[in-house]
Amino acid sequence: MSTSTTDRVRIAPGPARQRGPRSGRTNRNPRAQGTARWVLSSPLILFLAVLVAYPIVNGVTSSLQNHTLLNPTPGWAGLSNYWEVLTDGSFWYSLVFTLGYTIVVTAFELVLGFALALFFDKAFPGKKVLLSALILPIMIAPALMGIMFRLMLSANIGVVPAALDAIGIHASLLSASSVIPMLVVLDIVQWTSFTFLIFHAALQSVPAELHEAAQLDRASKPRYVFSILLPLMMPTIFIAGFLRAIDGFRTFDVINVLTAGGPGIETTTLSIYVYKILAGGNFGLASAAAVLIALIMLPIIPFVIRRITKGATS
Amino acid sequence: MRKAKLARRLGVAVAAVTAVALTLTGCNATGGGGTSADGVTDLKMIMQPGPEADAMSKVTAAYNKGPGVKDKIHVDVTQLSRADSFAKEATLMSTKSSNYDFYQTASYYIAQHAQYLEPLKLDASEYYTSSLDSLKVDGKQYGLPLDPSVHVIFYRTDLIKQMLQDKTTFEKISKEVLGKALEPKDPSTWDWDDYIASAAYFTQQYNPASPTKYGTELQAKNLVYNAMVWDDVLYNLGGSWLNSSGKPDLTSSQAEQAVNVYRTIYTKGMTSPDSDQAEFPETQAALSSGNAAFAVQWDAGYAQLNSASQSPKTAGKIGITRVPGAKHLSHVHTLAVGINKYGKHLPQARTFVAYLDSVPAMKTYVAAGGLASMPAALADQSSPDISALQGILKDGTYAEPNLPRAFDIYTALANDLSGAWVGQGSTTSALQKANADLAKLSGK
Amino acid sequence: MTQVAATTLRHRPKPKGWWRTAAVLVVALVINLPLLNAIFTSLKTDAAIGTSPFSVKGGFNFDHYAAVLGGSGYNFPGYLLNSAQLSIGTVILVMIVAIPASYAIVRTGFGGNWLLEAITSLRLVPAMFFAVPFFLIFSGLGIYDTVVGLILANTFMQLPLALLILCGTLRDVPAEVEEAAAIDGAGPYRSLFSVVLPLLAPGLVAVGILVFVFAWSDYLFAVILSSSGAVPVTVGAAFFVTSAGVQWGNLAAVTVISVIIPLCFAFIAQRYLVRGLSAGAIK
Repeated sequence: MSTSTTDRVRIAPGPARQRGPRSGRTNRNPRAQGTARWVLSSPLILFLAVLVAYPIVNGVTSSLQNHTLLNPTPGWAGLSNYWEVLTDGSFWYSLVFTLGYTIVVTAFELVLGFALALFFDKAFPGKKVLLSALILPIMIAPALMGIMFRLMLSANIGVVPAALDAIGIHASLLSASSVIPMLVVLDIVQWTSFTFLIFHAALQSVPAELHEAAQLDRASKPRYVFSILLPLMMPTIFIAGFLRAIDGFRTFDVINVLTAGGPGIETTTLSIYVYKILAGGNFGLASAAAVLIALIMLPIIPFVIRRITKGATS
Repeated sequence: MRKAKLARRLGVAVAAVTAVALTLTGCNATGGGGTSADGVTDLKMIMQPGPEADAMSKVTAAYNKGPGVKDKIHVDVTQLSRADSFAKEATLMSTKSSNYDFYQTASYYIAQHAQYLEPLKLDASEYYTSSLDSLKVDGKQYGLPLDPSVHVIFYRTDLIKQMLQDKTTFEKISKEVLGKALEPKDPSTWDWDDYIASAAYFTQQYNPASPTKYGTELQAKNLVYNAMVWDDVLYNLGGSWLNSSGKPDLTSSQAEQAVNVYRTIYTKGMTSPDSDQAEFPETQAALSSGNAAFAVQWDAGYAQLNSASQSPKTAGKIGITRVPGAKHLSHVHTLAVGINKYGKHLPQARTFVAYLDSVPAMKTYVAAGGLASMPAALADQSSPDISALQGILKDGTYAEPNLPRAFDIYTALANDLSGAWVGQGSTTSALQKANADLAKLSGK
Repeated sequence: MTQVAATTLRHRPKPKGWWRTAAVLVVALVINLPLLNAIFTSLKTDAAIGTSPFSVKGGFNFDHYAAVLGGSGYNFPGYLLNSAQLSIGTVILVMIVAIPASYAIVRTGFGGNWLLEAITSLRLVPAMFFAVPFFLIFSGLGIYDTVVGLILANTFMQLPLALLILCGTLRDVPAEVEEAAAIDGAGPYRSLFSVVLPLLAPGLVAVGILVFVFAWSDYLFAVILSSSGAVPVTVGAAFFVTSAGVQWGNLAAVTVISVIIPLCFAFIAQRYLVRGLSAGAIK
């Protein structure tokens, strides 16, 4: 009995279980109600109380004050910081740019990561070594990756322009017109490993019968992928996409090292926008910007979380 | 059997956590300096990495072994990454931290730092007056001047020599690019038109026989330091931040001309198209790889360009001269060290500053690779870049207005103008935005 | 039955898939270009780096590695140790907080839907928002510039990720297994540790690797919350970006060195964690 259950362990919730009328409730363990739920959650609650409650209070207070380096004893500023951010054209530009950037890179990385995981799923020589090679990029700290990119793409001492030159492509990679596509490409190169890793782990948990059934009829491989595998993997796709989107939204290190948000404000993401305010010593304004960003993006969260945790009830 | 396995796993987990916890508690660092058992006070100083921190480490080492023994003071230099040092110092200062006894500050930041620093008593006669003044707020001295930074032109002496003998080609190209025929001139006499024409001469697009791919490398990245470089163009064309009645002056014709100098160089291909993301390291790379013939650059770049082990193509062939313009003026800013007002060891900090505030200490600093704003300390250095520096500090600099939010103004200039520098949007509207930001940030 | 079928699948003679190897190799090379370039650059002399990307003037040497690991006056072995400690510590702390919490959220409906949403939305807020408050808290608690402080900050950052993955994985573990254990007399804690935990193995491995890697890569909190005692590798590397030039060779060497430890952790986690935990599941 337990043997078949262990085979069902997966990161991707799947439709392999019997669904009863009280489908949501079959997840509950009635024995665990009562004090157990509090004891089990106590580390989390303690953690949140100490490390989250205070910063939020502190940050929001700061955002309502005239809190800058020039003003050691900040006075009350009401909503003027918020107003300043809301009426700043470059804030809205950064918001739109960051959202667009996030959507594009996430879409690419989901598709490429999934395709790569699928392609990787068969046995072939050298699979183990290549698996390590494929997840190496996420082991490099973005701060270091940014500097390595800067070296690689340098028009004078960088490998990539020189190699392209050698094969006859005289492209300028970081010029004003090419810098945004270049940043997208760099993000894909750096983070496809992430989605690949998640999909690869999830694919390991796909029941072997499904695999076999698909093998028997080679012609229907695409149908297998699209009508069986994809729906099965939907929650995983959501998780991977959501995680990647949140991190893409917060991209800072690589873009800051390469472009510092320029030329002009063309590549200024929201993180760079807030960072520049902070570097100028204006804590109140930076806090207000951060709060606004969270508030604007907040509505998306419940939507995505419900999709992820609803999971198997589809 | 399962119980044993569970117990064993738990045991391993607990042991691991305990081991980690034990090692971690051992790694606790005490905040700020402290006083050790034998009464020696430990002072902590922040410096940016590079020659400044290396040189200061040697000075503090000499002090700790020498006068520090008598004073019972031990000074430690902590390095702080160049990119984030001021953000971090802002955090430390605003929380009135006593972690560090000395802060690194700079003339463009002193107005914001002043209320967290202690006024210093320095021997004013030893320093360049402009350096001292740039670190004063409301008449009080808040920073001890250390490394001054100015701009110069680095150029390939061998290539310029060729250019000076190639009048006909030069005149043809300058006519093509500027609409007027100019003669090739020695870089020390250039104005900005000469700069543009010479850049075109060394660009293969205009001169297929050019030994370099591009004439120059523009530093057009959206950075405060590049706004300082651009200020050279503005001020040497006769423009400035504020006009004579103190009102923002960035919509003047000189400002427009200054932006267009950059715009022409970039859009007409006299610099690599990637120079919209270039700053100090990229310009170094352009020169050391032989892809550019000359560039406006921070004087700190000389050591690397003239070193055979780091830049063999340019070692021994790098000339230095002042920035183009009628008066060849350069922006200058000075790094400095200040005393943390909220530090716990103010008397000892003052003692150390008194030690630094002397010609011998500064000479040690310079000998160890730093630069000083002290004529006497620089006197027996004869390398070309220090000689150039001395001359520039004496009579070759201009000063932007000493405004409290100077750093924010540089940030705004870079944000507003770096697009126009590389041909994005219109020069006029970019300057109007910059002017409006300047008005807001200067309170005028 | 499933196991038997799987075994048969594996023992059927398969044609060698070398073309697949080649294709995956190409992909691996492309995405590892920065690392390969770092390795190449780290072995070149400064002169070669400054001249051209293909120049190998002066030959290959390990000077940059020597400079990083001892010569330059920085304590890089110490920085690596700090990074390792803070990463492992973060993984441990995240597991301690997130495993019981996800069990409570999923199995007992603790916090309803909004708790998970609230925690996840924290990751939306720019990390800089928390920099100054954390600095204040940690200074007050005396853990500024300590690895413990960095562990706490990084746990905070990675909790949403861990909770999300664990909740997702847990949703799929049927409650019948625990009900069976309950019939055998196990309380909620016992069933969590001996029954559910082994079943969560793949999810735990994924969370462990990801949390380790992200904690290892953190830069912002490390900059604000460390000064000289708890400096990790990411901040230490920035010391090679100086006002007199960027030391590309040393930075490349740091990049190469900094990949080794996370990679080892991923190996260990893969091999031993899965084996160790799932060994308890098979009756």
